[in-house]
Amino acid sequence: MRNYPLGRALARGAVVSALAVSMLNSSVHAQSVDLSKWSPEYVRSIAGTEEYDTAKECGAVTPLDYEGKLTFWYQGVFEGDPDLLRQYYKEFFEAFRATYPNIDLQEQALTYNDLLDKFRTALLGNAGPMVVRLQILGGVEFASKGYLQELSPEDVGWKTEDFWPGAMKSVMWEGKAYGIPTNNETMALIWNADIFERAGLDPETPPATWDDVVAYSKQIHDKLGVSGYGLVARKNAGNTPYRFMPQLWAYGGGVFDEADPSPTYGEVRLDSDASKAALQASYDMYVRDQSVPVSALTNQQADNQPLFLAGQLGMMISHPSDYNVMLDLQAKATGSDKEKAQTVIDNMRYGLIPTGPDGKRAVVFGGSNIHILNPEYVEGGVVDEAAAKAMVCFWTSPEWSLKMAYAGSNPGNLNGFKTKWMKERLESIKFLDVTTSMLPYGIPFPTLPETPEIMNIIIPDMLQNVLTGAMTVDEAAADAAQKVRDITDGGGL
Amino acid sequence: MTILEGPAGAPRKPVIRQPGLLSQMWTARADYLYVLPAIVVMLIVIAYPVYYTIDLSFFKTPPGLQLRDKVFVGTENYTAILSSDVFWKVTLNTVIWTVASTLIAFVLGYASALALHRDFAGRAVLRAILIIPWVISAVAASYIWKWMYHSDFGIIGAVMVQLGLVDRQPNFIDNVHTVLPSLIVVNIWREFPFAMIMIMAGLQTVPEQLLRAARVDGASAWQRFWHVTFPYLSGVSTVTILLLAVANFNSFIVPWITTGGGPSNASHIWITHIYELAFGRQRWGVAAAYSVLLFIIVMSLGYFYVRALSGNERKEDSP
Repeated sequence: MRNYPLGRALARGAVVSALAVSMLNSSVHAQSVDLSKWSPEYVRSIAGTEEYDTAKECGAVTPLDYEGKLTFWYQGVFEGDPDLLRQYYKEFFEAFRATYPNIDLQEQALTYNDLLDKFRTALLGNAGPMVVRLQILGGVEFASKGYLQELSPEDVGWKTEDFWPGAMKSVMWEGKAYGIPTNNETMALIWNADIFERAGLDPETPPATWDDVVAYSKQIHDKLGVSGYGLVARKNAGNTPYRFMPQLWAYGGGVFDEADPSPTYGEVRLDSDASKAALQASYDMYVRDQSVPVSALTNQQADNQPLFLAGQLGMMISHPSDYNVMLDLQAKATGSDKEKAQTVIDNMRYGLIPTGPDGKRAVVFGGSNIHILNPEYVEGGVVDEAAAKAMVCFWTSPEWSLKMAYAGSNPGNLNGFKTKWMKERLESIKFLDVTTSMLPYGIPFPTLPETPEIMNIIIPDMLQNVLTGAMTVDEAAADAAQKVRDITDGGGL
Repeated sequence: MTILEGPAGAPRKPVIRQPGLLSQMWTARADYLYVLPAIVVMLIVIAYPVYYTIDLSFFKTPPGLQLRDKVFVGTENYTAILSSDVFWKVTLNTVIWTVASTLIAFVLGYASALALHRDFAGRAVLRAILIIPWVISAVAASYIWKWMYHSDFGIIGAVMVQLGLVDRQPNFIDNVHTVLPSLIVVNIWREFPFAMIMIMAGLQTVPEQLLRAARVDGASAWQRFWHVTFPYLSGVSTVTILLLAVANFNSFIVPWITTGGGPSNASHIWITHIYELAFGRQRWGVAAAYSVLLFIIVMSLGYFYVRALSGNERKEDSP
């Protein structure tokens, strides 16, 4: 398998990276890891340089012989995750039980798309868990409503500087921290070099801009009859904003000014010319060129994975874990399908997400955060604080925040990058360099209580309205912008 | 019982005064005691939620506030709903969904029941096969249909292409014009066995001697159906249609699992829209107002259902 030469692209992006890093952090050098030096080489240089003893560190927060009870809900693995991640989740709970044998842990895994609904419903009945690990866009909603306790890294033995500044923003509400990041992720562009070659494209060069993505997608579809780009526009699915927002930001658009260095979220920009240009690009691929899967309106990324493996999809945006997912899927294939799948895996390439027309590159700064609830919203009305902190400390430790993000994400605790497991991971997880290189381009979702509705409902609705022809690009953008204005003003349906 | 005097000069006529309600309840107090636990449970699990939903429908629930901090807005939620384009679109979808699903499932079920009422080899096996869609999990069925309808690799489209019926894979569920009819087909497939079972049960009550007498009198098969079978099945038919209508009005699983109400709200019906408003968008007040409107409609259908049942009972009781 040939490797994509990253160096050139990274050198070009160095200036932008530095700028983006400063956007993420006003006190770069205070971090546990020097983000100003962030590059694949730097990540490699710090991997394996420090040892951490999780039991010892967490034992200082909650004694290891502590007797208690803990209820815990978390966003767990789902059908689109690799088996490797399942194994680490299993090992995590075994390790926690072995370290804290007297804590009666009752954990419950929920999928990304189900967790918010279930958690909201449970809170209405004061039947929530003591601790919850939520997707990054969920924390502020619950903090603003008073469901969560104040919780900062210092409360469980870590330092705020141990975490990505952008991630810490996502747990802040009115100047106070209400959670701790467990993992942070940025995605990359994945393409099939064989499809590129057969379509007359350079197999080793990804599209540089989103306009190129549109053109490449059309060329692939016209020449080979397969889908060019794995567009995802399903409603109520996290996959949609994670794939559309980088496009929106790259064109210079946004929901608000969240892509600006100091966002205020005061101005709605969904109906700006730049936002419309991004929407137009999706329209061009789906309606004008018909170069993406027709099923994009009902698909999630998990539906794109088998298409890619079957050689029916040229490009998609996803995690580094998709390489492992492809290996898992290939292992389950039989007969000639197995061989075909291997060909696709051999031709799998990862690259930086394309830029907009002005060279702006962006990606969603994703991930998850862990929170402790206020007792009145918990089943039974009591939170076992010591047990809760033991769990939070354990998951956010350098060791487990790294291991639990092994294949698909990055450790929330920056010290995870210094562990021996990071070194091992760099050697075993292919294309990890690319997605870690995307981290400085990460833009956090707006830290507003309305963000889940905006990202899960309004953005997909806007896309669907355009792609189905129910509205023009202008109408859909105006409609979505008005909905955002309405809900931030406390009105609207 | 008291016998009252009539007006002067008029022939005496005994007038029976009905005992008062309280008196009747006292007489039947043992019966009321027997059903009291059920009444208490119903008050807790039905009456209170109904009251709470009606109450909530007059409040606004902004995303940044807890439900207990809701803001009273009077009838604003109802006004907002009734003046919303989406409401009318979803209402039209709901009417099409309910009427088409109910009538077609009923007609298919009726026809299947008549066909299976005749004696022929393999009847039991066929009956068992036809009941399968009704007994399998709705969630599993919805996922299976979603994949069969898949706009790029669905088996239905692939077969149509293979047979030369179409040039390219048809777009069933990613198109605003075809998604609702496609989901109605799934719903009919799931529900017609219920109608079939109900009508088959009804057919057992049609007196065989009447059908034989009609045959002796020279009535054709159609005449025997129209003048004997059909009238006998009118009661069970009414009940079946009403039950199907109520179930379809509240049908959630098929549209939610298959399309989530999309694309572009084209397959949203009331119940899925209410769910999205409440759990996806936390508009609890608006969702409650929607629910109240839905409740009124379903209760109206329930009234006709009870009337139909009472009518049937009266027919059965009459000599």
